[in-house]
Amino acid sequence: MDIAYYPGCSLKQSSALYDLQTKKVFSKLDINLKEIEDWNCCGATSASKIDDFLSIAMPARNIGIAESAGFSEIVIPCSACYAKTLVAKEKLNNDPELKSEINSGFAKKVKGSLKVSTILEVLLAFIESGALSNKLEKKYEGLKPVCYYGCMMTRFAYDVPSPDDVENPQGMEKVLKKIGLHPVDWNFKTVCCGASASINDAGVSFALMAKIMKDAVARGANCFVVTCPMCQMNLDAYQDEFCRQNNITQRLPVFFITELLGLALGMGVKDLQIDRHFVESTSILNLQDKVVKERDTNE
Amino acid sequence: MPSNAFQFSPADAAAFSRKVARISGQNIQECYQCRRCTAGCPAVQDEGNFSPDMLIRLVNLGDINAAINNEMVWKCVTCYTCGTRCPNNIHTSRIADTLKKMVKESGVEPLKPNIAYFHSSFLESGVRWGRVNEAEFMGVYEMKNILHLVKQKKFKEIYDEIIQLSKFVWRVLKQGRMHFGFLTSKGHKEIKRLKRQHQTSNKV
Ligand code: SF4
Ligand code: SF4
Repeated sequence: MDIAYYPGCSLKQSSALYDLQTKKVFSKLDINLKEIEDWNCCGATSASKIDDFLSIAMPARNIGIAESAGFSEIVIPCSACYAKTLVAKEKLNNDPELKSEINSGFAKKVKGSLKVSTILEVLLAFIESGALSNKLEKKYEGLKPVCYYGCMMTRFAYDVPSPDDVENPQGMEKVLKKIGLHPVDWNFKTVCCGASASINDAGVSFALMAKIMKDAVARGANCFVVTCPMCQMNLDAYQDEFCRQNNITQRLPVFFITELLGLALGMGVKDLQIDRHFVESTSILNLQDKVVKERDTNE
Repeated sequence: MPSNAFQFSPADAAAFSRKVARISGQNIQECYQCRRCTAGCPAVQDEGNFSPDMLIRLVNLGDINAAINNEMVWKCVTCYTCGTRCPNNIHTSRIADTLKKMVKESGVEPLKPNIAYFHSSFLESGVRWGRVNEAEFMGVYEMKNILHLVKQKKFKEIYDEIIQLSKFVWRVLKQGRMHFGFLTSKGHKEIKRLKRQHQTSNKV
């Protein structure tokens, strides 16, 4: 199965580990990700705040590239890139005039039929096919994750179909259950971490993350699981600071879903670069061999 | 700007609120002040006197000055919680974005200049190179921010900003999360050309 892949700027820089993990995990699952050629920045939240035209034109160019290369589906792990691309596609399909204006400037034209998918949609489709359990090599002991979705995966400032429940998404839980984990239910799944406010309005962002952290701790969770590189960076890089400011003594690793999946598929901590987290994240990982392999295959 | 109920002019108010509604694409006249937006807004903290419902109220009352000088315009983190919960489907973030543009057009200084610098630096980097270069755009942002603080003689803030930044950069370096290559996409040419074309055709 070939799927177009849009990493976006963050996955090529501060969250390069997520790019690497996504490629490794998908290749182990025999899903061929093909990074689209010469993709450009989607404009992210900044474009949508200050330049409506660019916030559609920038992701539109990437859609055109993927469609011209013959792909029918594109997977976008970063939630901001995903949301902006999905909204651009829908807006262009609803506004033929804008579509032809934008197409007039691009060598690779937007048709508008590309399926824009989150990383969870692709993983869930794979799980649905029943091919995952044979590939699992390890199981976890003692890991109690809360799934943190943030804003951009389910909420949009434009009427587009959400890929999961807006207030109580379940995609990550479904994936984690398949690898034998039991995610803890909690209240802050889709509460904002402040995104770029961690840089330009730290007071707001740190207060938000402290609330998120307190609920996770109160529920007895011992780690977060995320799919968005912005959420990961914020909760991980600033955790020590916002916890100290708010008298929180616990520290919780912030795992990408690809890390927990990769480990269960038999990859190592170093292969997945989990040692590049800010909060110490490896001592909590207690993996056992999955002994009952034969029974699984017969299931 | 109406300072009391007797000076309130429905016609003037409607003109402003319709303008904001048109640019933002939000039916703000339908707001009945139920405050469901505010109940879930993460930017509304314990201190501060601003909220999504108040911002919409100011716009609907035609209070231009109070609206464009409102903290909500800059504090909104575009989480879209308000809009997905609003019974009338009103996205306050789109209104905040519209007011940001009006601030720019009117030439007044943004209430939170650093937030304005952040988003312009990010987008400019993305358009300049076709991809955002984190170190470059953060450098440009911090320069703009610090220059502005120097002009205002806010030396304590400059000191805090530099300390905060160096701590972050140090952590990023230590964990090997800093990227040293430079990202580009040839798309920047197409995007710039298209943007210019859009600007000229919208002027006539
Ligand atoms: S939720 Fe909607 S209708 Fe209610 S106050 Fe907010 S904007 Fe107005
Ligand atoms: S989008 Fe802005 S105004 Fe609406 S809830 Fe989020 S921060 Fe508040």
